[in-house]
Order: sequence, then structure tokens, then C-alpha cells
Amino acid sequence: MQKGTQILILLFFVLLSTSLNAQNYTLSGVITDHSNGESLSDVKIVVPSINKGTYSSADGFYTLTLPQGEYEVEFRFIGYKTLKKTITLNESKKINISLKTDENTQDFEEVTVRGEGRDENVKGTQVGTIKLEMDEIKTLPAFLGEVDVIKTLQLMPGVQSASEGTQGFYVRGGGPDQNLVLLDGTHVYNASHLFGFFSVFNVDAIKDVELIKAGIPAKYGGRLSSVLNVNTNNGNNKRFGVTGGIGLISSRLTVEGPIVKDKGSFLISGRRTYLDVVTKPFIPEDGNFSGTSYYFYDLNLKLNYKLSDKDKIYISGYYGKDDFTFSTGSEDFKVDMPWGNAVGSIRWSHLFSDKFFMNTRASVTDYSFSFISSQDDFQFGLNSGIRDYGGSVEFSYLPNPRHRIDFGVDYLYHILTPVSVSANQDDTEFDVGEGQDIFGHESAIFLSDEFNITEDWSVHAGLRFSMYHHVGPFTRFEDDVVGVNDSSTTYNQGEVIADYNFLEPRISTRYLIDDKSSIKLGWNRNAQYIHLANLSAVSLPTDIWYPTTDILKPQYGWQGSLGYFRNFKENTYETSVEVYYKEMNNLVAFKEGVLPQDNAQSNTDNLLTQGEGYSYGVEFFIKKSLGDFTGWIGYTLSKTERRFEEIMDNKYFPAKYDRRHDLSVVASYELSKRWTFGASFVYATGNSITLPVSWYLHNGDLQFEFEDRNASRMPAYHRLDLSVTWFDKPTKTIYNEETGEEETKKKRFRHNFNLSVYNVYSRQNPFFLFVQDNGSAASNTFQLSVQQVSLFPILPSITWNFEF
Amino acid sequence: MKKLIYIAILSTVISSCTKEVLVDIPESEEKLVVDGRIETGEPPVILLTRSNNIYDETSGNLLLESLVSGATVTVSDGSNSVVLDEICSQSLPPGTEEAIASFLNIDPEELDDVDICFYSTTNTAIYGQVGKTYTLDIDFEGEQYNSTTQILQPHILDSLYWKEDPDNPDNGYSWMTLTDPAGQFDAYFWECRRINLNSDGEPIDDRYRTTFNPAFDDAFFDGLTFDFAYENPFNFNQETPPEERGFYQRGDTVVVKFSKINKPVYEFMEMKYTQLQTGGSPFATPSNLPSNISNGALGVWAGYSPSYDTLVCDD
Repeated sequence: MQKGTQILILLFFVLLSTSLNAQNYTLSGVITDHSNGESLSDVKIVVPSINKGTYSSADGFYTLTLPQGEYEVEFRFIGYKTLKKTITLNESKKINISLKTDENTQDFEEVTVRGEGRDENVKGTQVGTIKLEMDEIKTLPAFLGEVDVIKTLQLMPGVQSASEGTQGFYVRGGGPDQNLVLLDGTHVYNASHLFGFFSVFNVDAIKDVELIKAGIPAKYGGRLSSVLNVNTNNGNNKRFGVTGGIGLISSRLTVEGPIVKDKGSFLISGRRTYLDVVTKPFIPEDGNFSGTSYYFYDLNLKLNYKLSDKDKIYISGYYGKDDFTFSTGSEDFKVDMPWGNAVGSIRWSHLFSDKFFMNTRASVTDYSFSFISSQDDFQFGLNSGIRDYGGSVEFSYLPNPRHRIDFGVDYLYHILTPVSVSANQDDTEFDVGEGQDIFGHESAIFLSDEFNITEDWSVHAGLRFSMYHHVGPFTRFEDDVVGVNDSSTTYNQGEVIADYNFLEPRISTRYLIDDKSSIKLGWNRNAQYIHLANLSAVSLPTDIWYPTTDILKPQYGWQGSLGYFRNFKENTYETSVEVYYKEMNNLVAFKEGVLPQDNAQSNTDNLLTQGEGYSYGVEFFIKKSLGDFTGWIGYTLSKTERRFEEIMDNKYFPAKYDRRHDLSVVASYELSKRWTFGASFVYATGNSITLPVSWYLHNGDLQFEFEDRNASRMPAYHRLDLSVTWFDKPTKTIYNEETGEEETKKKRFRHNFNLSVYNVYSRQNPFFLFVQDNGSAASNTFQLSVQQVSLFPILPSITWNFEF
Repeated sequence: MKKLIYIAILSTVISSCTKEVLVDIPESEEKLVVDGRIETGEPPVILLTRSNNIYDETSGNLLLESLVSGATVTVSDGSNSVVLDEICSQSLPPGTEEAIASFLNIDPEELDDVDICFYSTTNTAIYGQVGKTYTLDIDFEGEQYNSTTQILQPHILDSLYWKEDPDNPDNGYSWMTLTDPAGQFDAYFWECRRINLNSDGEPIDDRYRTTFNPAFDDAFFDGLTFDFAYENPFNFNQETPPEERGFYQRGDTVVVKFSKINKPVYEFMEMKYTQLQTGGSPFATPSNLPSNISNGALGVWAGYSPSYDTLVCDD
């Protein structure tokens, strides 16, 4: 730790010493949407005459330091009218900008003014980053009518889905637990509903989504593979508005409006599925499955208030719950399986000056999963969960146009309940061991600097020093002691049982070859202190989160990434090729042959084994983001393998999500202002799977023998989805009695219908495979075969969306 | 209880569809499979078979096709060592049919139809005795395989009773009260048969059968006294109305065979029944049955120490 701190301090002063330019003035301000006051991030601010520019931050804040003089400054943002402003800079100035959407322009002037294409993919320093435009994804085909950000991300190169419809996403060969999923800056542990068919992110509440696959900035930590940053809308601070949608299985409603006009606003967004209501008539009350139902609901809340020109407070909350009940009616057998996330945070953003600002955040996140089954008077319950309390302080300092320095501290207090089991029959309580909670402190300090060495060469370098302390109370059971807990060590509350730390350097650099093309290189080392041990090939809420302990070591790894980016036809076409290599250590898996309930009178980590893995690949991407016809093609060629000490004698085997080929084609065609068509096609190599290699008989029963892990492949996965969206005319014609002329006015109530068809050619895609014995031994017709289970055939859906 | 979670999850997949596919499965080396048991008062019986590849073609009786003959099988208890004879089902010593049918898990009438050969003996010196450790040695095609097992002290159930299901008059589960010895590892194996006579004057069940989850250990209930119920494994068939399946009827006489088994045998049995319930499911980790035989052989050499109790199903 000593050494780490010294390096950080040293680095900090080195960076500061580069900020010795004077005679400059700062232009700064906040950029908002003219219609609703929502701050706009990633707006490009350029000064063409001297070829300088910047982008607005997540809060819409921009700052640009220039020598004294008169400049024409342009504010450009896709979907918005470019604003040009002449600014005389003889002192530091604060100019707030509000941009008008393209749509407004078209409605009234009937002139086609196209927003300028973004060249951030070429000019940004960050390698391996994907940003989603929320408007863009809303017209793409959606599964059961629910537009979903994670499913859209799975259409991007380097991002894979686990299997049909599921949310667990895999970035460049990393596991689903290796993605840092942040909702307004707070961790979300299980970002899925309905066994993963929907994500917890309600698109109506989302402002922007960013996925970082490589060169992860130093301010993010605790996960090996990626960062998924989801920010919610702040709410309209000018007027009240309602948006919503009614679909076949779910509906959503969002209300937003000012708390105090131009000062503060709120947004409340809710969703609920009504699968339970829809299916209820089909489940007879006295039938075999009466009482079986499923639903989920979630709520997003966001409040923000401007305390002063320098201070703003944001409060963000999410609460979601899934409830699955399975009942066999008359047989008195019932399973209840609720799970859900609760996430809350408060953030204070403060500007010390135009060049120095701070974000302070306090947050709590809670994920819990329960499983309760009862048969007659026997009851069995299982709980698993995680709760984090966190705090962070982040500073950003922009001493001169060449540098942006971020530094701060980050802290999380983890309380994990890996599995807590209870069982009772009438009054007899079974002794299933203490379901002990595990406590840990995770903390980090970080420093990074994004700076331009020359006009063409920029570097984003950072250092993160992270620490983890496993603390008591805790009881360590010795391995292989079953039934009798006579061999254990108990630690007191607060006692440090084990501590770990990592120095995590990060660097990402971009060299502009010319105005249209660049080369980017990224390298990062990350550590991860919380692990997901998954038992199954599909992402399920039953997978167990487990923290680093005295015997379970932190995961760590590094990734190197190199990319070539080039845009064509004034940024109409964006293309890129990226290669990466990733190494992961101390990965976590269950030992062979264990079951999660084997941990009675033991610690769950006694059932786990650790190992290592690597992944490498190349990703191709072509995107057309301007014009009536837009879309992209992404293709990934990759290989991912792992090995574990206690699985297959430490031999390498393909990861479950090792996928040689992964292709996505996405297209959207705007036929007119009223009609938009969307299509997406995916093709992926089948997932690897462990199938039995031989069979034998024991006491007349057919038993299977397995050999190498994941040695077989499921058939390839491919699917085509189509959609069409019809928009109501956005304007109406009114006869003006005063002038005697007809006038065009914008409608307050706007709506659209989206028709999506999932799996158009009804491909039977593999969900899983199993070996079945056909016929019977007695009738001499015995034969084994491999059977494939598929989930969804062709599935049309319709959704009605509205706003006013 | 572990099957509940799989049922729950699989039921969400109820609308899914299934079809046969052809995928590559690596070829596997043929292995020797040992299905051996010894219990109190009974001779050791060992059935030797071979493992088969998944896509291997089979035409006739599975058991017959994979039988292994010509091995030298020796069982010893430390003082006696007996080389077992190869005995075939069509020429069984009188009075052993029931035990052998139970061991082979086939109906006694079928014993004459198929000629299944296994290894056993009529030498009573090596018949199972409580408290002894038995060593198994197999010499087959130049390879040596061995294992040991024990016949532990039997454990006697506190009581048995029958409880009528409120929704199903005259049907109910068989219940038992068990007091587990405190402070030690204990594992149990549960079998049963009904001995009330059918219309032919024969016992209604011709042999012992296991329930769906017959093996359990005391990890959850060390030292406790509690009651638990078990279903009737004999009437999960077409002839029984669905609402009566798994129940014992009023008037049934049930013999419960409740055996102590040691830890390696329990581990094999636990995984065996887990695999039978979840085999091939994507929600389970692929798990092999942990064999207690050396040299890569599959299967188990199992010692059983049974206690018997009889229940007449009535209030």
C-alpha cells in the first residue's frame, strides 16, 4: 500500500506540473435540450478556425480553454440543429447553451437539415467504447415489444448473449459477473427480469448507455471485463410530460416535470408485466398448476435540484421485483421464488471553478433472491443476497486545454449472504448450518489524466490502487468436514481475516492519422473482489455471488487492445477493426460434482475452485449513422478458454461462451416521417456444452459418464427479427380566424405503434441439449439421442407508445 | 428437495419444443463397471459390465450386451478369502431368486427369460456380517481393480405410521420417526415393499424397490429426532389413477428396509439419484458418480446394514 500511495502522489505532481500555460481564458457552461431542459452529454463543441474542440460531460457541462480572441464556436449533436455562436474571449466566460432538435426544424420549415455525423469514434481517446442512442434503438425489433438496452448491446461486436433471450452478457470472453453494471453510478448485481429475458433498465427512464470494453478508465474498478454505464433521465424541468406504452405482456408509464421550473425536476417511471393476469384464465383453478404465476415490476425515480449555479443535487432510485410461483394445485406442492434489486443514490455535484469540479456520491444497492418450497408440512427455504453501502468523491480538474485530470476515492462495504438455507417440518427445525453473512471492505484511490501530447496524439493514463479487507464476524470451517463442525475458527466482528491489494494501471492512447482515421491502443489491469459462481449454463438468479475471503483470492487480469478507426463520406460511415488479448486469473467455478446445498456446516468457498483463462479476438464494425437508411454490421472472431485446478486436472477447456463467430446485422429504414422499418439478424457459433460421452448400467438404471468439459457444440444460433413503426402525424392544421389562413401546429399528444416479429423464419435455436433414451431396454428398442430444446418460435408483438 | 428447483425452472420452459439433433461427442474409452453389494446375512453379488459410447448402436438387451464374463473376483473379510463363482440367472440356487431380482432390478419372472451372469458364492463363510470390512479384488484381462466397503452397525427406526391424505380417502404416505445418533456421520438408504397378498395369493410386490431419493445423510439433522414421509415407488404406473400415485392404501402392509451405508457409498448413491433426476439438464453441473473402485473402473462396491420394520397402513 505504501508503494502504491507514493506512486500516486508522484504521478499527481508530474501531471500538475504540465499545467503551466497562462494567458488563456475559459469558456464553459451547460448544454441542455431546448424543449425539456435535460442536460446533453457528448455534445461536440468545436472551434473550426483553430481546430480545437471538446465534448460535454455526463451532466452536460463543457469547458474549453482558449487563448484570447474572437471565435466562431459550433455546438453539434446528432439529432439536433447545429448551433453556431461568435464569442469574444477576453475574460473567462460562462455560456449556457440550449439546442433544438432536428425534428422541430423539419416540422416547421420543411427543410431537411441533417445533424452532422459524429466523429468521436475516430477522435475520442477511449478505445473499445460503445454508446447507444436511445431514439435509434426504439425503432429496432424488440422481443415481445420490450425495447431493451442489453439486448441491443448484444448486437455489438465483442458483446455476446449467453443463450436465447438472456441478459447475462459476455464481453470479450469475460463472464457475466465481470461487467461493472452501474445505474446512475450505483452497482446493479443482477440486471435481469424473468430469468433474463428482460433487463432491469426501463428505456423510458434512460438517457444514455455506454459500454466500455477496453482501456477502462481508472475511476472504474472492481470488475475485469467491462463497464456498462446507464444514466437515467433527469426529467423535464420546463413542463409536465407523460410517456408510456402498452404492450402484449407489459406496460410502462413515465411522468416527469419540474419541481421548480428551470431549477429542479423529477421523473418517475414504472413497468409491470401482466403475464400472470393474461395466463390466469388458462390455468384452471382446480387444475394441476393452479396458483402458478409470474410477474415483475420496477420503478425508477430521479430527482434533481439546482441549489445554486455551482451546486446540483441528484437523487436516483430503482426498485424492481420478480415473483415466480409454481404450484401443483391439489398436491400441495408450492414453490415461491421472489428476487429483486433495490438501488438508491444521492449525488452532489459542485463546481469550485470552471476548471475544477467535484462529484460526491452515497449509494446503497441490494440484491436478494429467495426460494421457498413447501410440500404438506415440510418447508424448505433458501436465501441469497448482497448488500453494498458505498461512497465516492471524484474530482475533475482541467488546468488547460491539454489536460483533464480526474482523481478521487471510492469505497464499498459489502454484506453478502451467499446461501442461507432453512428447513422445517411442523415444529422440527432442521440444523442446516448457520447461513453466515460475509463482510468486506472494498476501497480504492484513483488518478487519471487525459491529455494531448500533440495535436494528433492524445493519451488517457490512469492509476488505480484498490484494496479489499475480509472482516469478521466469520466462522471458517475446515474443508471436507461434513456433519460435525468441530474443526472451525471463529473471528470476531471487525477482525481483519485477510487483506489484498492491487495496483491497476490503465492507459489508452489515440493517434490521429488524418481527419478521418486514427489508431487507438489500450491496456488495463483490473482486480475483482466479488465473484459469481454459476452452476448452470444459463444465467439464472440462482447463481451465487461470493466475495473474496481468506481462501478465495481476488480475480485479476489484464487486457490489451488495438484498433484502427476510419470514417467515410463526412462521417456517414464509421468503420473500425479492433484486436484484443485478455488474460484472467483466479477465476471462480464450482468443483466437479458439488451442489450448492453441500455447504451445510461448511463455507461455500470450500466448494469452489480457482483457475485462469484467456480470450483473444478481432472485431469488425461498419456503421451508417446518417441518412434514411441506417444500421450496422458487427462481426467478432474470438477464442476463450479456461482451466481450473480441480476441474479436468487443470487442462484448458473452452469457456461456455467461447464463440468462434458472432455476426450481427442491424438495419433501420425511415421511409417517411410516418413509417420506419427495422431489421436485425444474428448468427453465432453454438455454445459449448458438456454432454455425457458414455453410459452404463447400475442396478438397472441408466447412468452417464462425462469426460472433458464443454467438448461438444450446440448447433449454430441464427435469427431474423423485423419491425415496423408507424408514427402519428406530429403536426395538425388549424384555421386561424384572425389571419384567415391555415397554420401548422405541433401536436401535444403524439403516439406510435410498433409491430415486431421475433424469429421471423421460426428457427429452432438451441437453448440446451440433453441426452435422451428412446424406447426401452425391455422392448429391445433402446437408443440414445441428443435432443435440443428451443424456446421461442416466431413471436409477433405489438406495442402502442405515447407521449404528451 | 433439490429437484424442486429444477422443476420450477423447467416449468417456465413448458411451451418450449424439443427435437433431435446430431452433434459431435468425443469417443470415450470403454471402462469396466462394477455393481457390487454385500449385506448382512447375504452372499456378495457382483455384476460386471462395460461402459458404452453414447452413439453406440444397441440392438438387444442392454445388460446382456454389456456383460463382462471371465473375470476372477475375490471377496475377503480379513480372515476369509473367497473366489466367487460365475452364476447365471437361469440356474440360480433355489431361494435366491428374490434377492437376485432385486439386485438386478428386474422382475423375478424375467430371470428365466434372460441369462444374466454375475459373480457370487454359496460359501456362507463370506456372507455379510455386521461390523466387518470387505475387500473386493477383480482380475480381468490382466488389469487389477479393487475396493473395500463396510457393513456398519444397523440403525433402528423409532416407529412407522401411516397418515391418510385429507384429499384422498384411504390413501396416505408412510411416515417414519428417526432419531439420528449425534456427533457422527450417518447415511441411510431406504427401500420398501408391500407384502399384503394379491388375488393370486402372492405378496403384492415381488421385491424391494427404492424411492426416488433413497439415500440421505445427516448433514441437516445430526442428532435430531424427526418424522419424514416417503412415497410408494410401486404405483407410478398407468394402472393407478393419477391422484393415487405415490400413496399407500389403507390396509397395505409395508416392509421398510432401512440400511446404514458408509460415506463413499452414500456419495455414489446421492450423485446417482441426483443424476437420474437432473441428467442432461443445463441447470446442473455435469457430474460423474464417484466410484470407490480403483484403476478407473466405474460403479460401486457397497455394504448395506439393513434393519427391517413392518407397517400396517391404518389409523
